[in-house]
Amino acid sequence: MTRASIPSRRRLLALVPAAALALTLTACGSDAAPVVSADPSAALDTETTLTFWTWAPNIEKTVALFEKKYPKVKVNVVNAGQSAAEYTKLQTAVKAGSGGPDVAQVEYFALPELALSKRLVNLKEYGAAALEPKFTASAWSQVAVADGVYAVPQDTGPMAMFYNKKILDELKIEPPKTWAEFETAAVKIKESDPKRFITSIDPGDAGGVDSLIWQAGGRPFQQKDASSVSVNLQDPGAKKAADMWTSLINRKLVDTAPGWTNEWWQSMGSGQYAMWIIGAWAPGNIGSTIPETAKDWRAAPIPQWNAGDTVSSENGGSAVAVPTSSKNKAAAAAFAIWLNSDPEAVRSLSANGLFPATTELLKDPAFLDQPVAGLGGQKANQVFADSSAGVGKGWQYLPYQLYANSVFKDTVGPNISTDINTGLTAWQKRITDYGNQQGFKVTAP
Amino acid sequence: MSTTHPPAQSTPARPTSRSRPVPRSGRIGHGSFGYVFFAPFLVVFVIGIAAPLGYAAYLSFFQDRLVGGNVFVGFDNYTRALGDELFRAGLWRVTLFLLVQVPVMLALALLAALAIDSGRLRWPALFRIGIFVPYAVPAVVASLMWGYLYGDRFGLIRQIGDALHVDVPRLLSESWMLASIGNVVTWEFVGYNMLILYAALRTVPQELYEAAEVDGAGELRKAWSIKLPALRPALALATVFSIIGTFQLFNEPNVMQSLAPDVISTSYTPNMYAFNLAFNGQQFNYSAAVAVVLGGVTAVVAYAVQARSMRKEQSL
Repeated sequence: MTRASIPSRRRLLALVPAAALALTLTACGSDAAPVVSADPSAALDTETTLTFWTWAPNIEKTVALFEKKYPKVKVNVVNAGQSAAEYTKLQTAVKAGSGGPDVAQVEYFALPELALSKRLVNLKEYGAAALEPKFTASAWSQVAVADGVYAVPQDTGPMAMFYNKKILDELKIEPPKTWAEFETAAVKIKESDPKRFITSIDPGDAGGVDSLIWQAGGRPFQQKDASSVSVNLQDPGAKKAADMWTSLINRKLVDTAPGWTNEWWQSMGSGQYAMWIIGAWAPGNIGSTIPETAKDWRAAPIPQWNAGDTVSSENGGSAVAVPTSSKNKAAAAAFAIWLNSDPEAVRSLSANGLFPATTELLKDPAFLDQPVAGLGGQKANQVFADSSAGVGKGWQYLPYQLYANSVFKDTVGPNISTDINTGLTAWQKRITDYGNQQGFKVTAP
Repeated sequence: MSTTHPPAQSTPARPTSRSRPVPRSGRIGHGSFGYVFFAPFLVVFVIGIAAPLGYAAYLSFFQDRLVGGNVFVGFDNYTRALGDELFRAGLWRVTLFLLVQVPVMLALALLAALAIDSGRLRWPALFRIGIFVPYAVPAVVASLMWGYLYGDRFGLIRQIGDALHVDVPRLLSESWMLASIGNVVTWEFVGYNMLILYAALRTVPQELYEAAEVDGAGELRKAWSIKLPALRPALALATVFSIIGTFQLFNEPNVMQSLAPDVISTSYTPNMYAFNLAFNGQQFNYSAAVAVVLGGVTAVVAYAVQARSMRKEQSL
């Protein structure tokens, strides 16, 4: 883990206080700090103003805890847009060399691209490597890109099946445990009311389909080395998932309305959709967008391909990174580390709706037994924690996943209601063409 | 305001200073003085328009790859743009839009301008402002609003159709999307074009109408023989504006993309394509080339229309 990236004694010294900060997690650690340029804890003792781009809900509350603890550092929280909207601004600002933040929220799928194009600081230089044991393996594997550590995991989105208990009770359906049962339930739901669907697939959201492929065992994107990648959106897992959903969509058991629109939430709220298969971050959105019916929703494990398995995947989830254009890298790194690994901070993040990425909190009984407000008080964290433990290993994103995801709607989108496999093949072609243009060696195994 | 005391410094020196022999470096001084007035515009023009255009053109001759870095590629980006099917499809789509939407919009604007100018309307000012108000609504808001109305399940249009047992087509589907966007753009810009035309109508001297009435011309005849010819330059102007606007179509489809991501691709219009190339694909160089080609096409079409209408003007 600590490889060649520590060339000198000076660097090594810089690691000491950072590790102290990360492991003792309470003291500010400045007493032990030798004066080195990349010393994060000393940076927290200097008057600094950090700009933090994020769209995480209620993050100000956790930031306030930080400012209380390190009164010399002021953090400006700015919502610069969500997901792709933020990355667009971030990439442009870093390219321009000014106007960017010191700290930025970045989803896992976008990290390899931003890291590879040198938009982000390698946090190994600030001692982040020592944090590895604190985080779940899947979260850590997604921030450890090409021998570096380019962000600190903030939250994860282990997949779960959210269902409208009222509808299932009314139709006497048990929450399906396998995809076969899911299909049977879908038929029953349709028979009860032709306007009802068991769920919907968003024709514009690459992440949602990725998660389903991931759970089915597909690993379509692999980076082999710095300049070669392989793409196979027709591997057995991808095909298995695409076949099943195509069949459900063709039989009008699953809707294909674009997600997150007003109409889509209306369908969720009015009982036209019985389920939503998505990351553990969903309860917050259910609670805030359809408060009237939020109490009807419950969480259950994602259906399995083989009865008795506990295979899961992730959807969404973010990490916190330091762009290379920051003028306060040491302080920014220290802030990012504290925000996401200090137990007090992590509890605060979790209390404000983010699903934790740290193993300690995931095992904490107080966390596991906490009723989730958005789900009628269900102790749903147990479901999510089990899902987190079952996340399939080896998933990777492309070093240009931002582009890839942006053309998902151009390729899979128009084919969503005929054959998803056709769409995936078209998507693969676009991804391959782009990769070749960008100088990658793209192979399809 | 209330200066009671007499103007104390009405300097007597003034006439003498004026009659002071001016060094006759004459015409050159005169000419270069003009540049002083011109300078503020020039500075803004260079910084705001010429320099970015030049920079975009410069960028378009390079390729900055994720692997391999930045290299000079000559006209590679341009040859790629000319053969790019996505770009061509987008260009064809806005051309189709241009051929249908612009005539419809201008016809409606013309009708409105003539109606208001006819003096037969009860409250002409109310009509004028009422038709113009949509122009004051930001395009993003307008597209969102219409997007909700178009909605396939809970949209107002669908609900009215259901109530009347009329089968409303799916307005956000592939076959209807361009028409739906055309409707939004028409709604936004009829008022603006109406104002251009109406302003032109107001410049027609009243005597012409009086003379026509003496000759026994009715309102229709006046509209046909006086107003329409008088409107020709204004119509040409509105047409050129509309052509430029159409080729740059961006806001409306970009907003509606979230409502119909499976219909509106990232290359739906050339401008969207250029935007997405640059900001989602980090292909700034290729995007610059696409933008330059698009700018060229727009300039050629707009110029052709203008030249044609001017030739007609002269032949009259």
